[in-house]
Amino acid sequence: MAIHEQLKKIILDTLPGVECVIGWGPGQDALHGSPVFMRKPEDVDSFMDTPLGAFGAVNNLALFLPELSGKKVGVVVKGCDSRSIVQLVAEKLIKREEVVIIGFPCEGAADLTKIEKALPEGREAGEVTGAAIVGETLKLSLGSEEISLGLADIKADKCTRCKTPGAVISDAFAGIAGKAPEVRDEYADLAALEAMSLDERFKFWEREMSRCIRCYACRNACPLCVCRDHCVAGSRSPHWITQTDSTRDKLMFQIIHATHLAGRCTGCGECQRACPAGIPVLLLKRTFNRGVAEIFGYDAGMDTEATPPLLTFQVEEAHIKEREWQ
Amino acid sequence: MKIGVFICHCGSNIAATVDVLKVVESAKSMPEVVYAVNSMYTCSEPGQQAIEEAIKERGLTGVVVASCTPRMHEPTFRRTVERAGLNRYMFEMANIREHVSWVGKDKAANTAKAVDLVRMAVEKLRLDKVLIPKFIPATRKVLVIGGGVAGIQAALDCAEGGMDVVMVESEPSIGGKMSKLDKTFPTVDCSSCVLGPRMVDVAQNERIELHAYSEIASISGYVGNFDVTIRKKATYVDWDKCTGCGLCTEKCPSKKSYDRFNEGMGETTAINIPFPQAIPKKATITAASCRLLSGGKCGVCAKICTSQAVDYTQKDREITVKVGAVVAATGYDLMDWTVYGEYGAGRYPDVITSLQYERLLSASGPTGGHIRRPSDGREPKEVVFIQCVGSRDPSVGRPYCSGFCCMYTAKQAILTKDHIPDSRSYVFYMDIRSPGKGYDEFTRRAQEEYKAQYIRGRVSTVYPKGDKLVVKGVDTLVGEQVELEADLVVLAVGGEASQNAPKLAEKLRISYDGYGFFMEGHPKLKPVETNTAGVYLAGSCQGLKDIPSSVAQGSAAAAKVLGLLSKDKLESDPQTAGVDVKRCVGCRKCINVCPFGAIREVDMRGQIKAEVIEAVCQGCGLCTATCPQGAVQLSHFTDNQVLAEVEALCQS
Repeated sequence: MAIHEQLKKIILDTLPGVECVIGWGPGQDALHGSPVFMRKPEDVDSFMDTPLGAFGAVNNLALFLPELSGKKVGVVVKGCDSRSIVQLVAEKLIKREEVVIIGFPCEGAADLTKIEKALPEGREAGEVTGAAIVGETLKLSLGSEEISLGLADIKADKCTRCKTPGAVISDAFAGIAGKAPEVRDEYADLAALEAMSLDERFKFWEREMSRCIRCYACRNACPLCVCRDHCVAGSRSPHWITQTDSTRDKLMFQIIHATHLAGRCTGCGECQRACPAGIPVLLLKRTFNRGVAEIFGYDAGMDTEATPPLLTFQVEEAHIKEREWQ
Repeated sequence: MKIGVFICHCGSNIAATVDVLKVVESAKSMPEVVYAVNSMYTCSEPGQQAIEEAIKERGLTGVVVASCTPRMHEPTFRRTVERAGLNRYMFEMANIREHVSWVGKDKAANTAKAVDLVRMAVEKLRLDKVLIPKFIPATRKVLVIGGGVAGIQAALDCAEGGMDVVMVESEPSIGGKMSKLDKTFPTVDCSSCVLGPRMVDVAQNERIELHAYSEIASISGYVGNFDVTIRKKATYVDWDKCTGCGLCTEKCPSKKSYDRFNEGMGETTAINIPFPQAIPKKATITAASCRLLSGGKCGVCAKICTSQAVDYTQKDREITVKVGAVVAATGYDLMDWTVYGEYGAGRYPDVITSLQYERLLSASGPTGGHIRRPSDGREPKEVVFIQCVGSRDPSVGRPYCSGFCCMYTAKQAILTKDHIPDSRSYVFYMDIRSPGKGYDEFTRRAQEEYKAQYIRGRVSTVYPKGDKLVVKGVDTLVGEQVELEADLVVLAVGGEASQNAPKLAEKLRISYDGYGFFMEGHPKLKPVETNTAGVYLAGSCQGLKDIPSSVAQGSAAAAKVLGLLSKDKLESDPQTAGVDVKRCVGCRKCINVCPFGAIREVDMRGQIKAEVIEAVCQGCGLCTATCPQGAVQLSHFTDNQVLAEVEALCQS
């Protein structure tokens, strides 16, 4: 049985005990998918009923869990999404017993920006009339035109460094979880940024942030952003960010956002995926992630019992030798 | 708001490198400033009077003083504005001395920086709110941690002042390091004759509740209302029944237990009373050496005990007490001198520490007061003392001077001559540090009257040769190498903070320095206070000191406790955190970071919200910095106030 059929069966089995099961369904066009909230057995028909199937399951559905806390819900997760759940549980933002986690062996998800870039000059994703995955290629039809793209070329960057293709924690699992691949995140994406001088780097961010339209899609897509209606971005007291249209204020928000996520971010990349202006905001968070891994040996979203290092107070940190006088 | 700004010259401390008048002129144009003036010494009586008059005559509603560090004079000026009718929190201080005039020479740059700091203070003041302190009831009882001479003094003085005292000592007897000493400098009077009666006073004083062989498990609460959990370690002897007759110690068949009291200079029985003057004089079983408790068969002590006090099933137990103040008097440990390979790193039995030597000198010690070499029991004739072992030595991480070693070495040299008249003592020293009353005369007596040969220089190596030890060193005054053949080498090992000091500091929520010594509130003006209200320090836990200084600090800490708890109610600092429940999303991050347990979670119409327990909050601001949505704000240091300061700085 295909993975997505197995998943459907698990969802149907799960439905009676939960408010709903969150999964992926069809979106506005052949390429885009959309989250579906399945409450009744017939809702399950639309699950992964898309040309891209599991490859198109891009959204991190853990996003919806904090808001649904208090209700028992099921959620289908890729490995990376499950890390967000682990982190939410570790921070006690959701209760483990309120979530039924359904995992599957993820083979990677699409990066729609990469697909759009691969389309012929002037063509948009909305014009794609048909899509199908055949072996290791994605075949797209734009009217009469046929395009073939290698899956490896249109996979999200995070998938190339993924060490958790199966769910970190799950209550039900479709198929057999493969062995976790031996990958080391070398943070290669940060290298180019760090090769720049401070001045160049600041100019880089000013240039990138100048495109920001302050839609806060980055924030809204982040499963670990918990302030919701009380975000500093909209607050007058404390008045951290002004309402003036300045690049620096826009960058200020990104820096606050990254700081709030330091030691919490699992690198799911939803912020960057959601950005309509294509600003590489994940780089800021990954810079923190690397630092947290180096200093505290902590990788967010791997252990529900772990204490995030920046959400605790210790007089003496194991890895920061403040008091060594030699 | 009508703000008055007072810029202090501090004599020439500030005025020499800051153009004070220019700062005054700039201040006049700052928002809401209606009055700005310079003052020679703002903290002096006329200086404070000028502030009071200006408040009354000009109707000021807020005051900025630009002078020195707020650590010292913020309370002074708060009282000043309060006398003139303002709320004491409608006051801000700009530090243009420590942060400006003392650290920079460029007058123009200094003046500009002073203006910036004044502008920041004005901007913060504009957002200041009136804060009213609350009054909290206090428990009139004090916890003294440590039963050394400092703790004993503090406990007796507190009890004398009518305060109930709970004393906790980790060893089976109080007395501390002083009880191990034979004689004390500079009077060469018997240590236990001086200390013994005071120990008895502790035992007999009805106001003092003594818990020996006990530890602090946890402390919660705040000034006036600390809840202390004391862990009473299992002694396997019911101390209510034990009469201290010592019969068990005579009959115990396990006689190879490490003798802690005698610094390992002898061996003791598994069940023992550490020394004849022990308080409480009760027996304790060392479980690891006890034949029965380590799994074998025995039970001799239980059989012999006439009062059936031995109880092999005893477990650690915890008791709780409520106290209003805490005196930490946990003393020190000797540093581990075996890091010194040149002195044999512990391989040679006849290289001993000064404290071990004290036990050899003591009439109640393992040799009955006869100096005998640990290796063969022979009386040494040539004794070499090496000073500064683990003191003033950055290479082993001990750059500080332990303070008392010069003196006790002189004392030990004198006593050596007393005990063995035909002996010769040599002292390798770096400098003789003897700046106390009668101290320098004492070290001179050691040299002139008792003929101890003082050699200024370090020892490079000690190695055995036959039954002697060769000590190679240098005499830097003569500029020659020295080689001595010694029978006994005594190392004047320096002190270090007790092993458990940092852990206790965390429980007490007080700071400690890089070496583990507890931090006093102010190096000069608050030597026995800490930065945590209601916690005081006495003795070597704050920094190494000799007996007179430790006793003085014990009394000083007692005076502070008596002063603090002379009232039934204490004023709480209103500079605490508060939660805006509308903004709080119940993420609990503040609860996790609070080092004081001052935030709890409450259910508000089905939603989780954070709530600050004001009396417990110390105003450290960790929660404020952690709260992602700015729902937790620290009164008097709100985000908006900090941002206003940053803004003032960035836009200048």
